[in-house]
Amino acid sequence: MVSLARKNLLHDRIRFAITLAGVAFAVTLVLVQVGLFLGLLRKATVTIENGNADIWIVAKNTPNVDFGNPFPETVFLRARGVPGVERADNAIVQFVSIQLPTGATENALVYGLEDPAFWNLPWKVDSGRVQDLSRGYNLIMDNSAALRFGTFEVGDYREVGSRRFRIIGRSREAESFTTTPIVFMDFANAQTLLEQLNGQTTYVLVKVAKGHDPKEVAARLRPMFPYNNVHTRDEWAAASRGYWIESTGLGMSMGVTVFLGILVGVVIVAQTLYTSAVENIRQFGTVKAIGGSNWDIYRILGEQALIAAVLGFLLGAAASYGVRPAMASLHLTVLLTPQFSGIVFVGTVVMCLAAALFSFRRVALIDPALVFRG
Amino acid sequence: MKVLEARNIRKTFEEGSQKVEVLRGVSLDVDAGEIVSLEGPSGSGKTTLLSIMGCILTPSSGEVHIGGRRISGDDNALRQARRHSIGFVFQQFNLFPALTARENVIYALSVKGHKGRRALDEADRVIDAVGLTDRASFLPRDLSGGQKQRVAIARALAGSPDVILADEPTANLDSAVGVQILDLFRDLARSENKGLIIVTHDPKVRRVADRVAGIADGLLLSEPHAA
Repeated sequence: MVSLARKNLLHDRIRFAITLAGVAFAVTLVLVQVGLFLGLLRKATVTIENGNADIWIVAKNTPNVDFGNPFPETVFLRARGVPGVERADNAIVQFVSIQLPTGATENALVYGLEDPAFWNLPWKVDSGRVQDLSRGYNLIMDNSAALRFGTFEVGDYREVGSRRFRIIGRSREAESFTTTPIVFMDFANAQTLLEQLNGQTTYVLVKVAKGHDPKEVAARLRPMFPYNNVHTRDEWAAASRGYWIESTGLGMSMGVTVFLGILVGVVIVAQTLYTSAVENIRQFGTVKAIGGSNWDIYRILGEQALIAAVLGFLLGAAASYGVRPAMASLHLTVLLTPQFSGIVFVGTVVMCLAAALFSFRRVALIDPALVFRG
Repeated sequence: MKVLEARNIRKTFEEGSQKVEVLRGVSLDVDAGEIVSLEGPSGSGKTTLLSIMGCILTPSSGEVHIGGRRISGDDNALRQARRHSIGFVFQQFNLFPALTARENVIYALSVKGHKGRRALDEADRVIDAVGLTDRASFLPRDLSGGQKQRVAIARALAGSPDVILADEPTANLDSAVGVQILDLFRDLARSENKGLIIVTHDPKVRRVADRVAGIADGLLLSEPHAA
């Protein structure tokens, strides 16, 4: 049958284009900003999620994975004896200064591991072998370090802490939340970088044996380590993300961005639909005069809002997906998952329908007798 | 057979603290196939009477019967009557500018509850009845005034209402086209057996009217008489 809503929208193409642009702008704002935020958050947990550890034993009240605090290196021995634990190893995560060829000093986030291959850290290696990390003062540096440390090649040497290390390989996608470049090395070498790490570790990584539930194994470990916190992979990732959201105000910042995006969308759609309702008041009066109810008119406005929502979302989503390569070239990840896109789509529909409500009151007051006025 | 009867209609509007009695006991009826011309000066109450007979306004007192049924004053009953028993033709045409001639009729039918193939067939029938089959796919902006009024008449006829109420249907048309529209009204009133009340200032309407009713100051001047 004939859709007066759709035909009226297409009849006034400029106004329709403005409406779509408004919705698309709001959608793009929310998708890109929140996508950037999610991309950043993923960096906050990238080593937790890609590593092979099911459980992380950390010093008491360690806030997130980047800020490891030292505790005795012997703790892991007790962990190994717990039923359900397949393997437990020490690991160090620590900020250490690095000397650049320019003479400048920067910070690197060092991951020192006893068996990097087993723990799958790094998880993507472009060149070099992780097994070679323990054969001397060697390190693997992530490609993203080039942005902060300048270009580097396998075979180059860098002074980390007070020790000279040889770069034996390059990893990929190991980027930290703080943008501090990540370097991977042997655990014993990492211990020598700072005096406070002597005889210490900052984490014990635990692999749970097949058939055991990490949550149950973690529950068994907790009473044994009163001076530590024991987290499953998911718990530790959530804690690390939560730290950055709360401590940096990024959560609030994203909330404001989403609110502004919604506000822009609501204002533009509401304003357009309201103006359209006022300008088409004679048409709506005619609908009432020929027997239509307020609901018939609400349906017209609702359908227009829905069309604006769907097409505006598609345009906004296309724009958001389109800017991802450009963002990636700036080492910025816009993380757009199907779930997140789905939530934004539903939000867009709700936003547009809510905006249509502003016009409902206006059309409810239309007197059908106006059709007799010349 | 009377398709519409307005009995002793009174209507009072409140303007601030004053009450203005616009209709003061008006009775008017129309038979199936009959055309009544309702004439009177501006402010005489003829549009108010048309609105009450068209179930858009409720009278302060008096009764309206359409197709033998008394129309009660609640909004739903009035809307149902407008939907199923009354067709309107307006001075300004009031077509939906984004819809083609045929779509204007189809949309009106959908509001009246007619859907699907039946509605499409009915739309084609009334478009044909007003002689616009070759302009059915045109938007209103591409139609002449006379053609627009034909579309409006087709829309009023669609769904086969008991009565058609026309408000100054020739006021925006030139004389020759106005005559064509009036001839169309006459032919359709006969062929479709509809009661037709035309509110007008246009003396040409008397050519096609079976009766003329004059109204002034809210009262019928005399019993409607043959044109």
